[in-house]
Amino acid sequence: MALGLIVIYAIGPMRANVLNSAYGANYDPNSFFFGQLRSVIMSLIVFFVAFKVIPYKHVQKYAKPIMIAAILMSVLLWVLAKMGSSLVRCELGECRWFDFGIVSFQPAEFLKLALVIYLADFITRRQKDQTLGEWREFWLPLIIICGASLALVVVAQGDLGSGVALIAIIFGMLLTSSISMRQYLIMVAIVLAVSVFAVVTSEHRMQRVDAWIATLSGGESSDSTYHIENAMLAIGVGGFFGVGVGNSVQATGYLPESINDSVFAIMGETFGFVGLFLVIVIFGAMLLNMLKVAEGTNEPDNRLFVIGVFSWMAAQVVVNIMAMTSLIPVTGITLPLLSYGGTSMVFIAAALGFVLQLSCYTSREVITNEDISSRRGVRGAYHTSRRRSQRNTK
Amino acid sequence: MSQNKTLSKIQVLRYVILVALIIILARLFFIQIVEHGDWVAKANEQHTLLEKITPKRGEIYMMDNDEPVAVALNQTTYQIVIDPVVTEKAVIEDVIQKYAKEYLVADLNDVYGVEGLRYAVVARNVPRKVAEEIAESSAAAVWLKKTNQRVYPEGNLASGLLGFVNSDGIGQYGVEGSLNESLAGKEGLIKTTADVNNVALSIGNDNVKIPAEDGKSVVLSVDRGLERGVEELAAKAIDETAATHASVLVMDPNTGKVVAMANLPNYDPANYGDVDDASRYLNYTTEVPYEPASTCKSFSFAAAINEGLMTPETTYFNQGYEIIDDWKIQNAEQRSMLYGTINMRTALYWSLNTGSIYALKLLGGDPSSINQTGREKLYDYYHNKFRLGQITGIELVEAEGFIPDPNEGWGRDSVYANMTFGQNLGITMVQTATAFSAVVNGGYWRTPTIVAGNLENDEVVPIETERVEDKILSDETSAMMREMLVNNRDYKVRGGIDRAGYSVGGKSGTAQVIKNGAYDDTMSETVGTYIGFVAPKEGMPEYVIMVKMLGEGAYLDGGIASNLFDTVSNYVIDYYKIKPGA
Repeated sequence: MALGLIVIYAIGPMRANVLNSAYGANYDPNSFFFGQLRSVIMSLIVFFVAFKVIPYKHVQKYAKPIMIAAILMSVLLWVLAKMGSSLVRCELGECRWFDFGIVSFQPAEFLKLALVIYLADFITRRQKDQTLGEWREFWLPLIIICGASLALVVVAQGDLGSGVALIAIIFGMLLTSSISMRQYLIMVAIVLAVSVFAVVTSEHRMQRVDAWIATLSGGESSDSTYHIENAMLAIGVGGFFGVGVGNSVQATGYLPESINDSVFAIMGETFGFVGLFLVIVIFGAMLLNMLKVAEGTNEPDNRLFVIGVFSWMAAQVVVNIMAMTSLIPVTGITLPLLSYGGTSMVFIAAALGFVLQLSCYTSREVITNEDISSRRGVRGAYHTSRRRSQRNTK
Repeated sequence: MSQNKTLSKIQVLRYVILVALIIILARLFFIQIVEHGDWVAKANEQHTLLEKITPKRGEIYMMDNDEPVAVALNQTTYQIVIDPVVTEKAVIEDVIQKYAKEYLVADLNDVYGVEGLRYAVVARNVPRKVAEEIAESSAAAVWLKKTNQRVYPEGNLASGLLGFVNSDGIGQYGVEGSLNESLAGKEGLIKTTADVNNVALSIGNDNVKIPAEDGKSVVLSVDRGLERGVEELAAKAIDETAATHASVLVMDPNTGKVVAMANLPNYDPANYGDVDDASRYLNYTTEVPYEPASTCKSFSFAAAINEGLMTPETTYFNQGYEIIDDWKIQNAEQRSMLYGTINMRTALYWSLNTGSIYALKLLGGDPSSINQTGREKLYDYYHNKFRLGQITGIELVEAEGFIPDPNEGWGRDSVYANMTFGQNLGITMVQTATAFSAVVNGGYWRTPTIVAGNLENDEVVPIETERVEDKILSDETSAMMREMLVNNRDYKVRGGIDRAGYSVGGKSGTAQVIKNGAYDDTMSETVGTYIGFVAPKEGMPEYVIMVKMLGEGAYLDGGIASNLFDTVSNYVIDYYKIKPGA
């Protein structure tokens, strides 16, 4: 339950030390721990508010304004970044954060939740008026909204990981809509083609692919294989039981992004195969329970929302872990609820809160056989949200 | 749109996620369990920091009025190191200009011209104070690397004896070189798990720390005041003659302790790199064999006397030359008053080669010719008793030299005839002086030494070493030799150079130089040597002094060398306040 918090507690001081010596910064040894603790507390509050206080029906009503607000926020971030505003925080040349001093905020995370809410509403409405799958009524607005979101996240913010999450959300939700299989497959094919094109034409992305191939084939080490090699090193060193809390050497600066994207690798080093097994079982249970909730929901709208959240989480979990174990190239995506960062955790918590709320409305028949699982879902969600998580904000 | 259809699509998602998670678990099992050992090995390679702990180098002292005084010390200085990729050239230029202009060792244009260079030393020997100023001014721009620098407070004094420490911290030449192991101490080692910046971590359980053992400080038997005085006299002799080099060795014949060892001209050991010719580093007293020439007659005469075959009064017929193995060997001195029957004292006084050849004949038991017995006896004295052509055991780098075999090879008789007056053999000054000490000190060959001991807690603690003390000549032989050697200098007494109340004895030598494999008979370049002793009148010798002067293309005979000996011997008498005898 407190797994993530423990990890951040243990490696936070090392991270602070690394940053201090590398950039002459002055981080307190515990600053990461307290930052994460704050995120966890905030996430818990948000989770309960979403679960108990705000009925999802109300949220649904504002699907459009929420989506527009989310897009505008990303546009604003982009404009301000272009202007060099001090309200924008950039790291490694990518400007993804609003910075308000005490808190910062990553619009891309908001955008993901907004897209889930919006698509759930949009697809349901089109299903109702029988215009699903029609070009003008359905595909055009969909392409505009999704295209704009992707463009803002991937191009303006350089955040490929969030882009992958967005695409997963779109794929997952459309799959479970009543759109025809033919149209769905064409859409998937086009998106994949564009994605491949985007990768092949970008030197920076190709480098990651090359690095991945090099790692797989045991090729020469280079600067670009450094990240993945050290992630695997951390995981491999962990062995069966791990080296124990506070004994991670890789976290002392060898592994980049040790508290963000690479936190899974550090957990592997610290807690070993047993720990990672547990993490994966917990994530698996959460995800499978979400699917059960979706199955038990009669409202197409609600079901689509749950599937959207499922796709979002599943994408981040699978892509992050596969990248860390060199099953796919590194994409720079956070591990939900475990990576360091506030915005992502808060929005995932909100999404899970709503899912939990919806699980309470599942049909009686399903509930009987779903009872245990939905409780498990509750418990899983509850637990995991107490863990800390993702990248973005402080 | 049927509900069932949707449900079956959800089923697809379920399979997708299950398969993905199973793949991940399988992968994790593979990495964490199967490949675990490989990754641990790789991690050790990456995480283990091996760091040497540099010990403190021992210091070198000389004696001065029975008190050790430092002549080689350590000083911490800094190197300025930059990473050209991180630091802008303008920033570095600024820092260097402002603080460390005089310590700059690299051309910044060159440094920045090398693509991808991440490490460059741009300044060396930066004193601590300056380094601190730089650290405060621009900590991120450069980093400072601590180094130990050797400083020589006496400047050039005794550079040939002291040697220097090179940039790797290894002693070269002189005492720094020969005693490097003891001076350097033992490196310590830290083996530890380190973070990415190579800072040691407390994580890990096979960490090792072996502390460094600091080097021992050594106190030389050389007296700083005497050394300085002798070097001044030698430098003056170089100025006043055609010589370019002069070496002076002063030792106590009763203990083997060397009290002065000068090799002029000196160089600055702190800036040893400024020397244009590496031969300047050589210690000519121990490392360079030479032909001792007529100083060697002390040894051939002593051998024959010690065998009871000769006295100073023994006579022989001098015709000015000898023909041996069809070679005509001549005396250098050909005045007519010396022809005919003369005694050995006279032969030594005039340094007649026929005299020392006669001593060799007597050694063989046949006054009319040289034979195998004579050669073997001479070899026994030279090589085994006087230990010429052998390492003496002094705590310095030594050359061995060379004594020809008495039987092997062509023309042994002429070779051995030459050896009686110091040709056809190669020996070092320290060998000569040690053997000469035995000749005059009552017949004891003692291992020479340059070290008084180690300095521990301000006390000079003698070093336990095996030292030879070998009685090789009888008291009577030694007494006869002293009498003849003092007699050699009676003209110096008459000239008022050797003072009343002191017995000063000595023998000169003028060695031809071998050029293109043969003796240069034009005598256009010769090495002048002189060896002698000072004693209170009728007393035992207190110091043996040897000088050697040479210069390329310069004629330097024993007479020129004896002039330097004169000044040094009087200086030694004054310096040690040797009391005159009755």
